Amino acid sequence: MNVTTLFDTPAAASPPIDGALTIAGLSKDFTVGGRSLPVLDGIDLVVRPGEFVSIVGPSGCGKSTLLRLVAGLDTDFAGEIRLDGKRITGTDLDRGLIFQDHRLFPWMTLEENVGLALLNSSIPKAQRARIVAEHIALLNLAGFEKAYPHQLSGGMAQRGAIARALVTEPKLLLLDEPLGALDALTRIHVQTELQRIWLRQRSTMLMVTHDVEEAVYLSDRVIIMGAKPGRIRRIVDIDLPHPRERSLPQLHRLRDEILAELIQPVPTPGEPENLVRLPVREAM
Amino acid sequence: MRAHRHPAARVALGLLIPILLLALWQAQAEVGGARALAFVPLASIAAAFAELAASGQLLTDAVTTTSRALTGLVLGASAGVLLGIAMGLFRSVDRLIGPLYHAIRQVPLLGWLPLIGLWVGNGEAAKLLIVGLAAFYPTVLNTYEGIVHAERRNTDVGALFGFSRAQLLRHVLLPGALPLILTGLSQAIAFAWIATIGTELLLGAGAGLGATMSLAQAQQRMDVILVAIAITGLIGFTLNTLFARLRGHLLRWQPAIA
Ligand SMILES: Nc1ncnc2c1ncn2[C@@H]1O[C@H](COP(=O)(O)OP(=O)(O)OP(=O)(O)O)[C@@H](O)[C@H]1O
Ligand SMILES: [Mg+2]
Repeated sequence: MNVTTLFDTPAAASPPIDGALTIAGLSKDFTVGGRSLPVLDGIDLVVRPGEFVSIVGPSGCGKSTLLRLVAGLDTDFAGEIRLDGKRITGTDLDRGLIFQDHRLFPWMTLEENVGLALLNSSIPKAQRARIVAEHIALLNLAGFEKAYPHQLSGGMAQRGAIARALVTEPKLLLLDEPLGALDALTRIHVQTELQRIWLRQRSTMLMVTHDVEEAVYLSDRVIIMGAKPGRIRRIVDIDLPHPRERSLPQLHRLRDEILAELIQPVPTPGEPENLVRLPVREAM
Repeated sequence: MRAHRHPAARVALGLLIPILLLALWQAQAEVGGARALAFVPLASIAAAFAELAASGQLLTDAVTTTSRALTGLVLGASAGVLLGIAMGLFRSVDRLIGPLYHAIRQVPLLGWLPLIGLWVGNGEAAKLLIVGLAAFYPTVLNTYEGIVHAERRNTDVGALFGFSRAQLLRHVLLPGALPLILTGLSQAIAFAWIATIGTELLLGAGAGLGATMSLAQAQQRMDVILVAIAITGLIGFTLNTLFARLRGHLLRWQPAIA
């Protein structure tokens, strides 16, 4: 069985029409110790169908929170999130999410874990086993169908989670540092694989990563976020055709540019740059 | 230390202390006099065993007591799992039944005997009720804990794939709670077994290991009591071992602790 047949549909050749994400005036507060803590503030973002967008930003700036909101796991926010014009009010199979940790169910084999994603899908039951097997093979996990998650290495389990997220073919795939747990070599391999899958499936991708190199290699655009509260600081276009060569000098230049931007202190309006900000001051 | 891995070596090691105790027992019996009354010589115990076995009474007792324990266990534990799930899933059920459950649980099982005697008499129903309750308490508690403390990381995945409540229960909540449910069940087995012998002792009459013990006490047949005790221990041990196997199989997805 040739695994590539799965994605060789005629539709894959033409540009995607589905999977447009619109975020407008999105704000999110958490209540911590009785006090309201703004985590996201005035996020506006439009992602085109089939676009690959990465988000980079300091730890705690609200990247995971943003993905959870888009996934529909948390519906308590201000503003609007729409997928293809439809307002998001909860989870749906048209959106997939890969968490930073694999989150495979420990009580199920790899095969059962991937198959469970199809429980409510419209794919006929007769075809599910084949589709599951194809996705397991796609992530180089053939032979481990009957393994329980604790019998897989961290990287294998994470690839299992990617297979599980892909099997439902969501219009929009949200990825929260999906490759963070992988070693450098596997990481490069899965990045290439991810790019290949994306080029075939043409679903919209929104990926959080700490790896700027990974972001510029895979994305059409890179969003740089700032913290406290989480805002979009800058959006960098990576206007290069896919698939890309890792060694492209433009990629390295863009990486350095983004890194420089990330290292820069956040300019706080109304405050002199060089003022040492004490915690007390910040709290006010 | 390697030798312990060998099954035969492990069994031999487990038998070491019991054999030493038996030797000590026999030594006490041979002191004679009043001692011999409490420490019946092993030969007399063996004779009593042969007598009880030959008459068929031992088998009848063992079967009666075991099936009584298992019936009570199945009834009590299923009710317990169901109530635990309901309390874990629905806050209203928890609020409605939780306080009552925790209050009733404080009363020692045998404390209910007089009341139960008034309600349903001293027959089989009363015994099953007590045994069932013994199995019920730990199952409710552990099932409830398992369901209520379902991990967000797992329920999120269920939400992501659009699971209904029933699907979430079947594929996420119950498997996640299984380790605790099984802990509850293993306690239930131990409690149900103790409760069975206890009710038989107290409510006497009819067949059963406890009833035989109680009768033998009245007849001052220490040897018979000891045979019944030995068989009680043996069956209890077997039940536990079998359940431990089942538990290991059901939890084969857990990483080995060793
Ligand atoms: N359930 C919650 N309750 C309260 N505060 C929360 C909750 N979840 C997240 N936060 C807070 O929101 C902020 C953003 O968290 P988030 O996990 O989105 O950050 P992040 O950008 O993904 O960080 P990292 O790169 O370290 O993963 C943090 O300050 C965190 O403390
Ligand atoms: Mg995060």
